[in-house]
Amino acid sequence: MIQKKICLLGASSVGKTSLVKQFVEGIFSEKYLTTIGVKIDKKTIFLENEEIQLMLWDMEGNDTYNVFQERYLRGAAGYIIVVDQTRATSLHEGLDIHTLVRQVTDCPAILAINKSDLPATWNMDDSENKSYQNLFDLQFSTSAKTGSNVEEMFSALAKLLLRS
Amino acid sequence: MPTDAEKEAESAQQLEKVRTLLLGKDNSRITESIKKDARKIVAEVITEALHDRQKKDHSVDKVLQPFVEDSVQLSVTHNSEQMVISLYPIVGSLVRKSVAAFLSDFMEKTNQLLENSLTIKGLKWRLKARQGGVSYAQYAASQTFVYRVEHVFLIHRETGLLLNTVALDNENKSDADIVSAMLTAINDFVGDSFLTNDERLKEQLQSVSTENFNLLIKPGPSALVVAAVSGNPPQSISDQLQLTVENIHSLYLEELNSFNGDNQQFDNTDNLLRDCLLTEQKTATDDKKKTPWFAWAIVLLVLLFAGYKSFNWVKSSQLHNKIMQLDTQPGVIIKQLKIHSLDDITLDILRDPDALNITDWLNNNEMNAAQFKLIERNYYSFDPPILRERAQRIIKAYPNITFTWQNNTLVLAGTLDITKTEQLLNTLAIAGFKSDKNLTSEQLQLTSSLPTLQSKQIQQQIFDDLIGRIAALQLNFPVAVETITPEMHVSLQKLYQYVQQLEPVAKALNINYGLLILGSSDNTGNKTTNNIISLKRANNASYELQQKGINKDKMFVLGLGQIEITAISSKARTVMFNVIHINQE
Repeated sequence: MIQKKICLLGASSVGKTSLVKQFVEGIFSEKYLTTIGVKIDKKTIFLENEEIQLMLWDMEGNDTYNVFQERYLRGAAGYIIVVDQTRATSLHEGLDIHTLVRQVTDCPAILAINKSDLPATWNMDDSENKSYQNLFDLQFSTSAKTGSNVEEMFSALAKLLLRS
Repeated sequence: MPTDAEKEAESAQQLEKVRTLLLGKDNSRITESIKKDARKIVAEVITEALHDRQKKDHSVDKVLQPFVEDSVQLSVTHNSEQMVISLYPIVGSLVRKSVAAFLSDFMEKTNQLLENSLTIKGLKWRLKARQGGVSYAQYAASQTFVYRVEHVFLIHRETGLLLNTVALDNENKSDADIVSAMLTAINDFVGDSFLTNDERLKEQLQSVSTENFNLLIKPGPSALVVAAVSGNPPQSISDQLQLTVENIHSLYLEELNSFNGDNQQFDNTDNLLRDCLLTEQKTATDDKKKTPWFAWAIVLLVLLFAGYKSFNWVKSSQLHNKIMQLDTQPGVIIKQLKIHSLDDITLDILRDPDALNITDWLNNNEMNAAQFKLIERNYYSFDPPILRERAQRIIKAYPNITFTWQNNTLVLAGTLDITKTEQLLNTLAIAGFKSDKNLTSEQLQLTSSLPTLQSKQIQQQIFDDLIGRIAALQLNFPVAVETITPEMHVSLQKLYQYVQQLEPVAKALNINYGLLILGSSDNTGNKTTNNIISLKRANNASYELQQKGINKDKMFVLGLGQIEITAISSKARTVMFNVIHINQE
């Protein structure tokens, strides 16, 4: 069986844990519990008749007081930068983290613009944000609450990893 | 001028040129010529080489094992017939052996289970396990083994992905994938958090311990071997883990370095990892055996007390049985028997005055009457032996009377005057003898000669008394019956006796007398028939009296028919008697 380590990164409270919960267990909770350190989950999916087990490393959110640590990133096959479309700052923090990660690894990266069920305060298509798109291999607009695009995003990442 | 270094470099270059000319590029000439004979060269030493290597570090069999397994599998799949023929001779004994092994294992396990479940130790363990919130099996294992390696993980160091895992009982309770990832995360955390020296060599987690559980981590450059151990792991486990890590690295170095998430290529590490599943059973705990004197003393006391009690119980039940024999004696009834102790006995009895003496009986039966508290009350017993005793005592006072027993009926014989006869019969009646039950006085002869001393007045009184008694007798018949029943015989016998007694008195008083026998009937049915039936009843009574010896001439029989008195007319089916008497002159 193929196993892949995938890390979820991003500013705090953008919905990394919720995305994993939605993907692994299919549920969403309004309750906010901050992740400390790292929380690991797994999910097995089938792609082109191949079984692939994703080990999902859900990392604690990073902010001014909690700077990004690369320690849990070692050996990751790919990573997802999660940003919140209701907070423009989360995009910038996400991009900062992305820059830091790129210094350590050049594995495939995905941008997940989460909370698509809520009205956006910024848009990736805005001219100032457009240039950021090229930084990522794939980009998804997801909602951990409705489950929209969650499964698709992880499947696409798995496919990407299988090919590489 | 070329420097020394330049000279050196030049000579090295020249040497290299010569080497290339002689040996070819990259030693190709040598390798080619060796390659030609490679088969021969290797064939010559391969057995010895394998032997030496196996001897050195036991790595050959581990490498060969997967090949052997694969070839056997291939043979079974494609050439099963050949396999069957080869294996046939040993299959029988194999099956037998395996069944025997299974049975003995099963028995052993059952035995252990029973021992552990039914002993105090087993119960204690169950309680402790419940208190500690662990399963009984887990607790039992922790108590039975000094240590036991439950689980071994092989983890890829870089990614934290699980490469392979083996468990002791083949059932994977913990989620090995998550455990290995989390362990790697913790290891990374520890490594980053506690940097100790300048070379920035990361600290490495060696073990994680809980009260009963240890995770031993043996890191290698590319992979970790982790053993989950219950109990206290000794150094030998650590050594074994080290050996395994080294073996895995030497055998799978390439696979480890090029690992891309596919752990299939590590399936064959099973055998290496299984070497780490070590176990040591606890030797029986040799607690210092202190003799529990206090407990023994209590046990002894209890036993003594129980012995004393049961001895007493046996003794008193024997005594009880012995005393209860008294109850079978005639004229004695035991109301209550209480044995408080062997010399304090309360005996509450009912006793006939003619029965045996209790104190004498006790003494005769080897019991000390002084130990008894006797409560005795008298009663009249109708036990046959007592009746005999009593009759004997009463009749003793009448020297002229003899008596015999016929089927528990007292038969009196002899002669006696009328007053004494009355007296005797009265006394006997009080003592339980009734002429209609257990007394026959027919053979009793009344003295014919009256004592001259008797005054006329007394005679007259006796006469009046007798005719009164005769008149009091009455035979009562059932509906439409005229025959004499046995009960009527008794009355008629009495009547006969009264008449017998009347005879001398009448003579003495110069009185002529006759007996009137009057039959009657109820008022149901035909009057004429009633007249006839009433006469028949009177006649039958008269006939019986004649049979007893009363002169026919002295009797007058009359059928009264219906008795027209409202209160009695419906039931007056009787024969009545009356004495008609006339003074002479």
